[in-house]
Amino acid sequence: MFPRTEALSSARTWHDWASLAGRLILGGVLLVAGALKLPNLESSVIAVRAYQLLPFDLTRPLGYALPIIEVALGLLLITGTFTRIVAISGGLIMVGFVIAIASVWARGISIDCGCFGGGGEVEDGIAAYPWEIARDVGLIACAAAAAWWPPRLLAVDTWLFAEPAPLDDLSETPQPQTNRSQA
Amino acid sequence: MTSSRREALRRQQAAQAKQKRLTRIVIAGAAIAALVLVAVFGTILVQGMNRPTTASVPVNATSAKDGIIVNPGKPVAGAPVVQLFVDYQCPVCKSFEGIFGPTLKDMASKGEIQLEYHTMTFLDTNLRNDSSIRAGIAAACSDNVGKYSDYHDTVFSNQPATEGTGYTTDQLRREFAATAGITGADLTTFQQCYDSKAMAGFVNGTNDLASKSGVNSTPTLKVNGKVLENKTLPTSNPAQLRDLILAS
Repeated sequence: MFPRTEALSSARTWHDWASLAGRLILGGVLLVAGALKLPNLESSVIAVRAYQLLPFDLTRPLGYALPIIEVALGLLLITGTFTRIVAISGGLIMVGFVIAIASVWARGISIDCGCFGGGGEVEDGIAAYPWEIARDVGLIACAAAAAWWPPRLLAVDTWLFAEPAPLDDLSETPQPQTNRSQA
Repeated sequence: MTSSRREALRRQQAAQAKQKRLTRIVIAGAAIAALVLVAVFGTILVQGMNRPTTASVPVNATSAKDGIIVNPGKPVAGAPVVQLFVDYQCPVCKSFEGIFGPTLKDMASKGEIQLEYHTMTFLDTNLRNDSSIRAGIAAACSDNVGKYSDYHDTVFSNQPATEGTGYTTDQLRREFAATAGITGADLTTFQQCYDSKAMAGFVNGTNDLASKSGVNSTPTLKVNGKVLENKTLPTSNPAQLRDLILAS
């Protein structure tokens, strides 16, 4: 899945830390955002409707599904499970949020983004749009970091995707351990 | 062991290890994907089934079942259709009623307009109670005993000072009914209707149809389907609303 050269080098590089930070920040935000919405899914539906982007009949399923998907992606990112595909999915969701907020901004609709629960029309929602878009762009950067550099710290993937240890040690002489098994 | 046998054994073990790794990845991936899919579709199904779809409809409901006509039989031919979207827990709706209610009702009783109230219930979600839907059900039931307009006004004039306090069942089925002038056999009919929750599907429907038509906040006033923005309304001289409606 990841470049072989990465797997063979043993030193922790800043890449590893950037990947870990991206994972934890994006995962943490997704987990919190989803968990806050889970207890009140009807509210999530109203938040989706306030964007006036989707056909009415799709807003209910999407309003129910989004918090669950956010929690799932958040947990997978934090644990570093299937990191690359999950980070890419999380990044794409953020791209969708940026497009949605830009679209209500362009149409002059004033809403609470409903990012962390709540949602619906409010008096002075437009003032918050630049900051919300900036935040989501930052999260896209986190997704990119987590997807680009392989997760080598505190990640389920290091076990899940571990290459089998080389088996050329059937001879009696002990072989030096490779670094891979320590990852 | 000859070197060729050792080589064959080594290759076999390498292949097995590779297979094991692949199996591990596939199983983990499939398990996670299945879990997420079940959670998503399970929730959509379960929540969808919890929504009442009972089919009682108030006698003066609009033909689209998206609201109730306040002055049935009164509107003259060609009278504009005036739709007021309200949530019984919305404080601004109460102020709106206080300011523009008399003008609207005067026009309605003269037949100058067809007046419709469209009940929304999204504040239940925001305030985490069920007072909007219960008040909506009670109002729909009051229409079946001919007291819709009076009951509607009674709910708003008794709206709690603090948003979110809501309405008690006793208020809705007894107190407000008495104030609205529902008595005797009508009271029994009204209370049976309220207790059965048979109007729940209708009230959920008026809320959904309002959202569907693009109404996301209350109060919203529409004349012949066009929104009159709240900020353009003549708050200081409510009687002017009449000209505004007849001109649009």
